[in-house]
Amino acid sequence: MADQADFEADAMQFAPQLYSAALRMTRNPADAEDVVQETFLKAYRAYGSFQAGTNLKAWLYRILTNTYINRYRKAQRRPSEVELGELQDLYLFKRLGEHSGASESAESEVLEAFVDTDVIQALESLPDNFRVPVLLADVEGFAYKEIAEMLDIPIGTVMSRLHRGRKALQKKLWHLAEERGITGRTT
Amino acid sequence: MSKSACHHATEQIYFYLDGEMTYVRRLRIRWHLRRCGHCCGAFDFEERVKQMVRTKSQTEPSAELIQRLHTLIREEAGDDPER
Repeated sequence: MADQADFEADAMQFAPQLYSAALRMTRNPADAEDVVQETFLKAYRAYGSFQAGTNLKAWLYRILTNTYINRYRKAQRRPSEVELGELQDLYLFKRLGEHSGASESAESEVLEAFVDTDVIQALESLPDNFRVPVLLADVEGFAYKEIAEMLDIPIGTVMSRLHRGRKALQKKLWHLAEERGITGRTT
Repeated sequence: MSKSACHHATEQIYFYLDGEMTYVRRLRIRWHLRRCGHCCGAFDFEERVKQMVRTKSQTEPSAELIQRLHTLIREEAGDDPER
């Protein structure tokens, strides 16, 4: 059992990460701040039931994710389960290969040319049911099993949404690269 | 390199990069990557995309929000913040 008096000292270090994740989920700073505040309040109240020595970060993210989902579902009445069309594996790698002959330096140049707003825009373009698993795996580094527990969905569903979400993310990144003319050499 | 070996490796790419694979399966993939430049390039690229998504998607909260969180917890704890 964790001591509620330790909550501030234990949990505040995760506040910046939790805010960033909340912002990617809600796509809106005011909503993200609300979600983070509600998360910290719920976490503080429940801290007595947190098993000290287990993964505090995962516990906090579980509360954050649930807070977001509950709000979202209330606002939308039902969760949007958008489907993505068929997408090619290794989307970005293959496009770059066709475009620049897949030289390693051209690939590096393109990845380096992406700025934060490109990556954020690509992440935020994903439908909710794909965006959250991608966020939890790629940005926050959680294991499939942890994500399945946080979202209360089977691990197979986590894998398929994550894999499909990543392909869609790469497709969006490719479109952004084309728009900005950073797709590498054309000769 | 046989097409099916490459196909098999590519199918497993995310499990490999996510560390969601048994040791024996990892070794098999690594064995293939040592002998196949194309798959090695693809795996390396995917790893770098994953890293890029992590490092280029962070937004710092305002100092006000952090302060508000501290205040929220102290008020909830029943402390007088002025004390």
